Amino acid sequence: MSDWTQLETDVLVIGGGVAGTMAAIPVLEAGYKVVICEKGKVLDHCGSIGCGVDHYLTVMDSGPEWDTPAHLIKHVPELTDYIVDMAVASRVIEEMPRIFRKIESFGVDFKDKRLGTYYRLRSFGLPGTYHINFDGTDFKKCLGERVRKGKATVLMRTMVVQLLTKDNRAYGAMAFNFRTGEWTVIRAKAVVLAAGDVNRISRNASGLAFDSWHFPYNTGDAQAMGYDAGALLANMESVEATLTPKGFSTQGLNALVSLGAYFVNKRGERFMFRYDPKGENARRAVLADAVINEYLLGNGPVYLDCRHLPQETLDHMEHTLQVDRYTLPAFYQQKGVNFREELVEISVSELSIRRSGVYFRGSGLAVDTHGETSVQALYAAGDCATVSGGIAGAAVLGHIAGEGVVARIGALHGTLPEIDASTIDAVRARARSHLDPTQGLPWKVFEDEVRMTVTDHVGVRRDDRGLRLALRTLQALAKREPELRADDLHGLMRVHEAKNVRKNAEVMAAASLARTETRTGSAHWRVDYPKPDEDHWRRFVLVERGGDGPRVSTLSTSEPLSAAFSRAVAAA
Amino acid sequence: MNTTTFNPIRIDEEKCVRCDLCDWICPGDLIYHEEGNKQKLPVVAYPDECWYCGLCQSICPTQAIDVIFPEQMVRNTTDVTTLLGKVES
Repeated sequence: MSDWTQLETDVLVIGGGVAGTMAAIPVLEAGYKVVICEKGKVLDHCGSIGCGVDHYLTVMDSGPEWDTPAHLIKHVPELTDYIVDMAVASRVIEEMPRIFRKIESFGVDFKDKRLGTYYRLRSFGLPGTYHINFDGTDFKKCLGERVRKGKATVLMRTMVVQLLTKDNRAYGAMAFNFRTGEWTVIRAKAVVLAAGDVNRISRNASGLAFDSWHFPYNTGDAQAMGYDAGALLANMESVEATLTPKGFSTQGLNALVSLGAYFVNKRGERFMFRYDPKGENARRAVLADAVINEYLLGNGPVYLDCRHLPQETLDHMEHTLQVDRYTLPAFYQQKGVNFREELVEISVSELSIRRSGVYFRGSGLAVDTHGETSVQALYAAGDCATVSGGIAGAAVLGHIAGEGVVARIGALHGTLPEIDASTIDAVRARARSHLDPTQGLPWKVFEDEVRMTVTDHVGVRRDDRGLRLALRTLQALAKREPELRADDLHGLMRVHEAKNVRKNAEVMAAASLARTETRTGSAHWRVDYPKPDEDHWRRFVLVERGGDGPRVSTLSTSEPLSAAFSRAVAAA
Repeated sequence: MNTTTFNPIRIDEEKCVRCDLCDWICPGDLIYHEEGNKQKLPVVAYPDECWYCGLCQSICPTQAIDVIFPEQMVRNTTDVTTLLGKVES
């Protein structure tokens, strides 16, 4: 039973996307050893934007008042409907110009080739033209190259399934390679969780589980493992849907909207101004909300209308269409739709848990201003952390966490706990039992049940009765997890993902039940409490693992989330 | 493996040079090709787990791969309101 490899390192990074690679970079620069575990095979192309990205949100400090961190910070409370950790959000925004220039120094070209300068757009209701529209096909490649130059040890096609913690301090993790079946136990002075958001959690138009707007191979692994290790989660009640061309849950529609496309309903009415004075320039959450409402009013189908736009803009759209999703032009072609001349029917995507369409209010692991969670030496960044802001948010908080780790390692004293072989054997025995062909529950069936429960009762419309029913259903499913069956090592990875999806759904249901108000429209729409309650609910909902299910508490948003950390209390 | 599942990519046997890149790049661990085997074509082992990202197509050095969308994606008939939750009121 000892056929596993033990690795000793300074820092373990879980997830090799933007946040993980950006966390690794300052650690490598400080001369420490880094191990990165990643489910993909090629570091240059793994993570949510392995295929490329077409926009990057940043303050640049280029001169005008609107382009300063202070200006954006001032607007964050209203942008997040007042549910935001201002301490961490402010730190992220203040660091934006520095990290932006650092990424440029890695060779990422943010400039528009025709203009010779940055093509900056206003979108999602932000108080300035903070979005750089650019060809980010090679964005991730530049970060990957930087990490490889720093000589990190990268374990590819490797899924981490268990964190190692003792006395509320992280000291490593267990992982397996799903091509070879090899197990590795990594002992580290600090661990950075950067495994992204939660997808595959509800149904969409195509009914295909992996046809999702965001990366379907991000299944809340970090949130689930952090939760099991005792870390606090926050904002988990807030979900996010987007608008997609119907049948294909892809990103890319918002880019068209920010370039001037309209939404129209079945009567041809341009309805967005009924929902927001900014019309199609409203925040992403408001856009999705309005379309959901039009469908519920019976005004569907809803369409995207680009027909009024000048040829030059349409050319630009067509040119950049494939940047966010390479296959989008092929989809339109196979569908037989020409978006320049025809209306494109749109749908509401499946849900994911990330930042509920709101920049700087992430749903996930609560972190302090150094990216550290409530568990000592356990860090989180990117879409699994409570301040999330797309690619830039992942890059900046990732880098902050990396620098936090460097400071933490210097201050840590005492030796790391010894690896407990019996824990390792127990985790491996559990994994092996899923490969037993007599197990009765295929992971796809299990996951479908989670998705059905979430769609019907924890989705865009919620009430007390439905949420309680969902919690019972999801907890009953947990009891069946030992029966989950994998047909091979690849399936064993999916079994672990399916369990993580269910756990996140349970946490989401518990948090949603606690928040007895509606906040940010369909991000948390309680039909039994249909209005925001500013008197009682300027509060975070926090969830941690309790004795028999999620333990829920709340905290005033006038405090940082770290005020609820027991390690902060212990240190005081 | 369910062999009746819709295959999301088409690999042109003539053009494919059996180079392993699609196996390496697929973010879902779906495409399998025995490394260095110049006879066998890559296999889409888990077709129903495809994200339709097209990374395999974009990296293929000989343009041997086409992404094909299934009917339920290109001609979708789902009533969107069925995705919007069941509540009593």
